[in-house]
Amino acid sequence: MIKNRLARMVFGSAFLTAMVVPAIALAEEVAPGAAEDWRAAVARYAAAGISMAVAAFSAGYAQSKIGAAGAGTLAERPEAATNIIVLQALPEIIVLLGFVIAFMLGTA
Amino acid sequence: MSARQAVTVTKYRPPGRDYGYTNARLRGMRSRLLKHAFFEDLMASKDIAVVIQKILQTGYGHDLENRILHGRTATQVDEALRDNMTRTFRTVLELTNIEAHSLITALLGRWDLFNVKTVIRGKHMSLSEEEIANSLMAVGQLTQADAEELARQADVKAVVDTLSTWGLPYAMPLRSVLSEYLQTQDLSLLELALDRYYYEWAAKRLSGRGPNMRLAREFLAVQVDTMNLLTCIRLLNSDLSDTDASRFFVPGGTVVDFDLFMDLASKSDVDEIFNRIKKTPFGRQIEQVAYLYIEKGSVSVFERALENYLFRKAFVSGKGDPLGIGLAIGYLWMKANEVTNLRIVVKGVSVGMPVQRMREELIVV
Repeated sequence: MIKNRLARMVFGSAFLTAMVVPAIALAEEVAPGAAEDWRAAVARYAAAGISMAVAAFSAGYAQSKIGAAGAGTLAERPEAATNIIVLQALPEIIVLLGFVIAFMLGTA
Repeated sequence: MSARQAVTVTKYRPPGRDYGYTNARLRGMRSRLLKHAFFEDLMASKDIAVVIQKILQTGYGHDLENRILHGRTATQVDEALRDNMTRTFRTVLELTNIEAHSLITALLGRWDLFNVKTVIRGKHMSLSEEEIANSLMAVGQLTQADAEELARQADVKAVVDTLSTWGLPYAMPLRSVLSEYLQTQDLSLLELALDRYYYEWAAKRLSGRGPNMRLAREFLAVQVDTMNLLTCIRLLNSDLSDTDASRFFVPGGTVVDFDLFMDLASKSDVDEIFNRIKKTPFGRQIEQVAYLYIEKGSVSVFERALENYLFRKAFVSGKGDPLGIGLAIGYLWMKANEVTNLRIVVKGVSVGMPVQRMREELIVV
């Protein structure tokens, strides 16, 4: 259960960024052969940066929580180390998704 | 930086409301609590030597090894169990975050209250220092050394004076009724003053907002309710006037309010009490043991039933929010329950008590 206001804000912004910003940026499709408007280029690169940054912050937040709980688990049950490392690495997927979105925006 | 500053180590405490680390540790500790099958096996032991051998294989082994150097007796096992409980409670307090530490300290004040009341009762009945010290459980703010020092005092007045010298809050309510106690030798004056003080103090500390604060407050209220209900049962056939009965009411409960308390205190029969509270959460508990009361005629059956109810409430609180205070409350009460049960079995086996009788004596298993 996510109770913390900060957590809700971070996950909310990650969701918004992942869904809305690329949609806006990609909406302005450039006609073949025409030069891209500089404002559209700025928006694209800004969107790519925000996607990456928010995804990275969200993953960092998730990893901090998993890391704290993992440290507690390891203190009591060292045999669970492998599971903890796997769980600790899971939020990296969020960063990968952010990177993919940023890459798509950057090369669109 | 001075040499003194250089060696000062600040103990890590998880920040604010971060329950991730704390609760992961508590879950690990909870998984090592003894199972029902272990108690069955322990009760079947033929003598105390076998009991010691079995307990040495558990998490109590370390504490027991230290104690049995002084003799392989039931008393030493009992002390080892108390050592373990004290050590465990202090460990939990050390690894809790700031919010949980404050809440747990308020709830563990119950054991400080228990210790101070035990010493005062002991002094009132002129028990020996050893007898009093054996009943103490230093898991709150009072350490074992503090509690033993209190037990060493000559009389009740000296205990109150010592508490005042240490600047402990329990001195205040005791001082306010000490002169009356010295005149009347009525122990209930001191006990009531302590109860009222503690529950008022704890309620103030738990008066904040948030789900954890609410859970701790509700648990405290259940404690007050069970205590008031038990007082009503003890007052059966006492022929007290309304004024006298109202003296025994401790505010802070949610089910047994003042009006209900006064109504229950005026009853003269367990059936009447049951009819009055059957729609409350306590109705079922009273109903379940009513026949035992008729059989034995002792109010201790209700005491046990209400204690069971309190323990079950604590255990249930540990099954809610995985990142909340409930887990800590549940674990601490489970640990207390386990130690109490082990002490019952150790005593039982050492005096040759039948297994069935021991099984009946165990609290919630």
